[in-house]
Amino acid sequence: MRTGRLLALAVRRQFLEWAGTWWFTASLVVNYAIGPLIGLVVWSAVLPGDARIVRYFVALVAVHLLTASFEDYTFAESVYDGKISARLLEPQPVVLGPAGENLAIRLWLALFGLPLTVVVALVTGATYRWQDVLLALPSLVLAAVLRFLWTWLLALAAFWTERVHAIVALGNILVFLLGGIAAPLADLPASWQSVASLLPFHAMLGLPADIASGTLPASGVALQAGWCVVFALAAVVVWRSGVRRYTAVGA
Amino acid sequence: MKLLRLFATSFSLSLRQALAFRANLVFDAVLSVVALASTIATVLVIFSRTTTLAGWTRLEVLVLIGTFELLSGVKTTFVDPNLAGFPTRGVREGRLDHHLLQPAPSMFLVSFATAAPLAGVQILLGLGVVFAGAGELPRFPGAGAFCVWAVLVAAATVTTWAVGMIFASLAFWAPKLDLHSLFGNVWQLARYPADIYARRLRRVFTYVLPLALVASAPARTLARPVDALLVRGAMVTTAAAVLVAILVWRTGLRRYTGASS
Repeated sequence: MRTGRLLALAVRRQFLEWAGTWWFTASLVVNYAIGPLIGLVVWSAVLPGDARIVRYFVALVAVHLLTASFEDYTFAESVYDGKISARLLEPQPVVLGPAGENLAIRLWLALFGLPLTVVVALVTGATYRWQDVLLALPSLVLAAVLRFLWTWLLALAAFWTERVHAIVALGNILVFLLGGIAAPLADLPASWQSVASLLPFHAMLGLPADIASGTLPASGVALQAGWCVVFALAAVVVWRSGVRRYTAVGA
Repeated sequence: MKLLRLFATSFSLSLRQALAFRANLVFDAVLSVVALASTIATVLVIFSRTTTLAGWTRLEVLVLIGTFELLSGVKTTFVDPNLAGFPTRGVREGRLDHHLLQPAPSMFLVSFATAAPLAGVQILLGLGVVFAGAGELPRFPGAGAFCVWAVLVAAATVTTWAVGMIFASLAFWAPKLDLHSLFGNVWQLARYPADIYARRLRRVFTYVLPLALVASAPARTLARPVDALLVRGAMVTTAAAVLVAILVWRTGLRRYTGASS
């Protein structure tokens, strides 16, 4: 309960802080929307008239925006400039700060990006069954948690190296290729499909879009929950190891 | 000549700074290779479902991808390090004041004061993909086609710099407006043949934001017979972009009264 209140407070504070950077937020929305939009154009050219492709990629725009994670900037930078030292002394888990900022940024991305998604849906004529959209919501929440945990885990590399942005970029390449932006899971070659459906990348991005577009059943949430547990445990181990290694800036 | 020497000196300084951290060079090289492999894998996945993409064959798209990677490498090495932060560093924090006091054209200093030489790995990888793709084409492009390709790549480089310069110069009117990141995002649209976009979008990408000329035009000259009209169009667009960039910079500079005033 206390943790929930602290998280809500962090979200509120960060949401207000981000209110003054609307232009930057708008450019982030473009950044996160452009990949799925290119996918929509390319795959519409490959499979013209396939309504599934349009439904999938329009849903993917929303999922990509609502699962966006920036811990290589928000958290890793605090390790580099030493601001984490003060946070380590606070009587609350350090992860609440980055998690709060993550949720606040996603709220802003939703405010700017969801109207854009609606416009794209109207222009492309994408239509959804409301039952599929409702079924996709739990998967979307789990994908958002999973994406945060994945980026957070990679961002913890900041305790060991200064190249955390490159490490997260490598991670994002995997998400791009196997997560469903490069191609929908159903359109990957058969040998890739079986591997991609088990790895966490499709679970953190493409799965909610597949469920919303009626391509896949909602049973994939069990796999998502499993990967969430794996990443959470890995994050705890790496965090403890990283904090032991950390010596404050100037020390 | 003096400007060339200045450019060489600033690049040499950036290179020596970058080479002081060898591990970063390895890291950047690995990242570039993985990113390129992912792009090529995406192309292979697309062509596992089709034989042509908007009239482009797999090998033609590979030549396009190589050209795009090469130009992205040039942009990341020379344009981004200088112009990406110009509204903040140059105008709001006042680094432009420092450039204005130096005995060289301010536009040159703002554009080429620094570089990110490690990103140059992407240029070499892009070149490799272009030659590998072109070598597999049913009709190997002759020396003439490669010359035209090189001219169009040079024109695309200049156009990219000019568009970056125009966006950066808008900071004189709206210092908080950072259009370079937007340019970087929209730049990704040039990764695929311009023909996949609807006609209206294609017109925007040709006449307003000349992304169609970035990779599609040079790649087309290697894959198909040289189109003189396309080459002339690219030259005119490049000249127009440079003229607009100079005009906007000079007009903006007249408005500029220092960071603290």
